[in-house]
Amino acid sequence: MLTLIKRELQDHAVHIVLAALICVGMVGQVILTAYWGVAGVGLGIDAAAMVILLVLFCMLGAAQMYTDRANRVSALLATLAVTRTRILAARVLAGAAIILAMLVPLLITAVAILYVTGAPLALYRGTIAEVSTAVVLTSLACYCVGLLMGWTTNKAIPAVSALFGILLIMLLVVVKGFGISAMVLLLLFSIASLLRVWYRFTSVSL
Amino acid sequence: MNDKPIVVEDLVKYYDGRCVLDGVSLEVPRGCIYGLLGRNGSGKTTMIRILLGLEPPTRGRTLVLGEDSMRLSARAHGRVGYVAEGHNLIQSYRVGRLISLCKGLSLQWNGEFFGRLVETFRLPMDRRVRELSAGMRAELNLALAMAIDPELLILDDPTLGLDTVARRQFLELAIDVIQRQGRTILFSSHILGDVERIADRVGILVAGKIVVDCTLEELKDRVKKLRVIFPERAPEDLYITEIINQQNQGREMVLTVANWNRQKQTILETFRPESCTELPMTLEDIFIECTRPASAPVLQESEV
Repeated sequence: MLTLIKRELQDHAVHIVLAALICVGMVGQVILTAYWGVAGVGLGIDAAAMVILLVLFCMLGAAQMYTDRANRVSALLATLAVTRTRILAARVLAGAAIILAMLVPLLITAVAILYVTGAPLALYRGTIAEVSTAVVLTSLACYCVGLLMGWTTNKAIPAVSALFGILLIMLLVVVKGFGISAMVLLLLFSIASLLRVWYRFTSVSL
Repeated sequence: MNDKPIVVEDLVKYYDGRCVLDGVSLEVPRGCIYGLLGRNGSGKTTMIRILLGLEPPTRGRTLVLGEDSMRLSARAHGRVGYVAEGHNLIQSYRVGRLISLCKGLSLQWNGEFFGRLVETFRLPMDRRVRELSAGMRAELNLALAMAIDPELLILDDPTLGLDTVARRQFLELAIDVIQRQGRTILFSSHILGDVERIADRVGILVAGKIVVDCTLEELKDRVKKLRVIFPERAPEDLYITEIINQQNQGREMVLTVANWNRQKQTILETFRPESCTELPMTLEDIFIECTRPASAPVLQESEV
């Protein structure tokens, strides 16, 4: 399993580096805004960066499936001492690990800045937990959209479908807010997408 | 260890409404080198892909090392070596990286044997797979398949793209594998000389059906090509069953018959031929006769 996860991480290093750059930019921007900036402008830049990050997570999922299909990677891996389910599990674990590795430092930084600037953390605890969970779940949902759309050798269809999927997820968060109902919907969506991906991946010809 | 590493039961496969495999059944006993023959598009690669679980069957089932192909465990996969037609390797990887990936995903790795193969084939570790020649890709694929010390080796036209020397080396390697007790090889090839040299059992697929499934000796023994000279014009019909091919030219008839036996010889003698000579047949001759569009002999162990 570790060999498979390592392979996924190495093959998609470009996405990891891009996501890391965006996250570092966001952290820098938050620090600058907290000390010297105008809050409204900073929030706008962060929101735009977050959207780009979500698109990037979606692209990561799509790239994992698309490159596999186009280069027939699984056709080789499935003849070695692994099963299709294990190949997919390693892929999803690698994707989830990348998402968490990008978002957790970002969220820790945001909390640290609130603490340093003397904001009443006890008051914000519930909001911070809700926003953090919603951001992670939205990222996972976007990643799952990418996984779903990437399993085709056509480039245009998955790209358009994925953008449409991300738009829907973001609209859901905007309409429902960061509440529990949005989280449940995002979680259900992610689980359903993963089940669909698993079914397709384990039953089609490689 | 399983006595029948490969079992195919009534296998049917349709692609876009076209029947590629039409009720194929066969068994490969342990320790056997099975040569699977057939013309392009006869269903050889499809059958091999179904065996490995890369392709779902439309109907029927296949067992590899006692497990259903579509639910093969990682352990069973790890005991099967596979060389794909066209050498399906990850093109963007460097040779060294591909090797370490395959090594990391293997149950066992015979490093010494693999090292010997790499040295023999002179495989460059730092080059990308796509930069290798077709022959080198074939050698790399073969070395990777052999390095896991497979209990079952499935080779789908493995010598395609290899030069004569490399082909000879490959055949020697295959023989080396079979000499290790209990190893089984399923071997599909267009080069019939190779099959004739190493296979001890052959199956011939014609239009998705197995028309021959017996040992090489039995096949050569049972398929006869005869030149028969009659006193007058050769008869149009001899009323003999399982005629694979018949060509008449005046008094001469050249006849290829499956399952030649005493009864068929007696029927032929009722036409009072002047002479009847048996013509020698190589595996290639038999293959060509069996895969002619009009011919449909069925030579299976139960009948032979």
